[in-house]
Amino acid sequence: MKTKMTKRMLLFRCGTILVLLLIAGLMFLIGRGHTVYFDNKKAEYNGQTIETPYRIDVYVNDERVGKLSSGDRGMASWMGQNFKMRLEITKEKGGKKQIANVALKLPYNMDGIILNLPAMLAGLPEDAYLSEFIPAPVEVTEEDNEVVTDEFGLEGLEEGMEESAGE
Amino acid sequence: MSGGRNTKTGVEGAAKKISGGRRFLNFLGANTVPIMFIIICAICIPISGFSPAYLINEIVTRMGRNTFLILALLIPIMAGMGLNFGMTLGAMAAEIGLIFVADWQIYGIPGMVLAMILSIPISMLLGVVCGKILNAAKGREMVASYIISFFINGIYQLIVLYMMGSIIPIKHTTVKLPRGYGIRNTVSLLNMRQKLDDLLAINVKGVKIPVATFIVIAILCIFIVWFRKTKLGQDMRAVGQDMEVARAAGINVERTRIISIVMSTVIAGFGMIIYLQNMGNLSTYSSHSQIGMFAIAALLVGGASVDKASIGNVFLGVMLFHLMFIVAPSAGAKITGDSMIGEYFRVFVSYAVITIALIMYETKKRREKSQMAELLAAEQEGEEV
Repeated sequence: MKTKMTKRMLLFRCGTILVLLLIAGLMFLIGRGHTVYFDNKKAEYNGQTIETPYRIDVYVNDERVGKLSSGDRGMASWMGQNFKMRLEITKEKGGKKQIANVALKLPYNMDGIILNLPAMLAGLPEDAYLSEFIPAPVEVTEEDNEVVTDEFGLEGLEEGMEESAGE
Repeated sequence: MSGGRNTKTGVEGAAKKISGGRRFLNFLGANTVPIMFIIICAICIPISGFSPAYLINEIVTRMGRNTFLILALLIPIMAGMGLNFGMTLGAMAAEIGLIFVADWQIYGIPGMVLAMILSIPISMLLGVVCGKILNAAKGREMVASYIISFFINGIYQLIVLYMMGSIIPIKHTTVKLPRGYGIRNTVSLLNMRQKLDDLLAINVKGVKIPVATFIVIAILCIFIVWFRKTKLGQDMRAVGQDMEVARAAGINVERTRIISIVMSTVIAGFGMIIYLQNMGNLSTYSSHSQIGMFAIAALLVGGASVDKASIGNVFLGVMLFHLMFIVAPSAGAKITGDSMIGEYFRVFVSYAVITIALIMYETKKRREKSQMAELLAAEQEGEEV
């Protein structure tokens, strides 16, 4: 009876761990976040120059995240790999707006993704309009390094000791 | 005849009056702290000048933020281990989970769930360590768990400050210190900020009600009510009442006590994640430090004691304690012209409440002991006669 119980317990525990691992895996997949940057900038591809439209309004989840004039950059956070956005493109000043619904798969391993909108709208291949955003390296300062605080009120103790030794 | 009956009725009435008065005094004695807080709040609310809508909104937000954490304290009390100051260990486990989730860029509720799953093994490990130490320090569980939380905080700081980024891979620059290892003072949880609170949230006359958060809290309440009726729950209650009797009844006292601490630590970890998702950022080195103290103070304000606490105490405590937290600085500023007085007042009250509860518990224990001794002496005298 005892062995049977132990086996049942073991099975139950293994099952619980397995379920938790599966949920964790699922969360990894569906919860992966990306910062998507939208560029309304000129693009070069195979010697071909793609001109920028006058303005692009970018909507993600029905919320306007960018109002990009030529040369501007906007950004939005997105969860998951199936990215969807709506673009309202104004080719010339005072011109009519064209609407484009875009759906694309974001690479899992990239945190920040730059989308060159003119290149994407021109129908160029993915490597022409999608690239990884690599943040500029931050300079290390003394201030950044100081994170430990002295909760015991011993700050300046060494200085005090030196002073008293000097006396 | 009728006169006799009248006299009897008069005596009964007097007895009823006495018992009624005594009952009222007993009620006052048992609920000193909540009554004191109701009086403080009743005085401070009009002085603070806050509108009822603002106060209700704040209270609802804080209930969603803190209740889960405070519920974590109920199980060790049930097992007779007093107020678990070691719940900080669960909070630290949760913070480690959140640091990883922030580094792996897992957003929203999936991020919360993943952080909870990551916190489980760490919480369990810390809970077992804490439980074993508390078993070795029977009768002094509260002070022991308080000191354990400081000890584990040292290890946490070592891991987070020196091992993360050097031994434990952390790649994201927004999480890691610029020197290449260690975690920044503040980790942004903006991508999961209030995601649970906003899920199914409804707005009633300007008051945002975080329905999903309250559902999660309700599930935990139901779990606690159900758990009390299970074999393990009954064992815990038996251990809480008398360890020796429980042992004689064949209950593995030590194991039961360890399980209660493990459960409390795991629940505290989940509670900390709910708390931090509401705040939207994580103070890596300090978020957990005051959590245990404030959760315990809130529970005691709700009328709980070291050996008895209920779900009702948790809700009443969160409401009263946080109401005081909201109104005290403003009331202090209006009365003295300095808002810092109010700030000091609320911190001072938190510690005072815990001190009063501990004194009351010790007094009650001693009184019970002396009553037992008197009873025993009277019995012995009776036998001798």
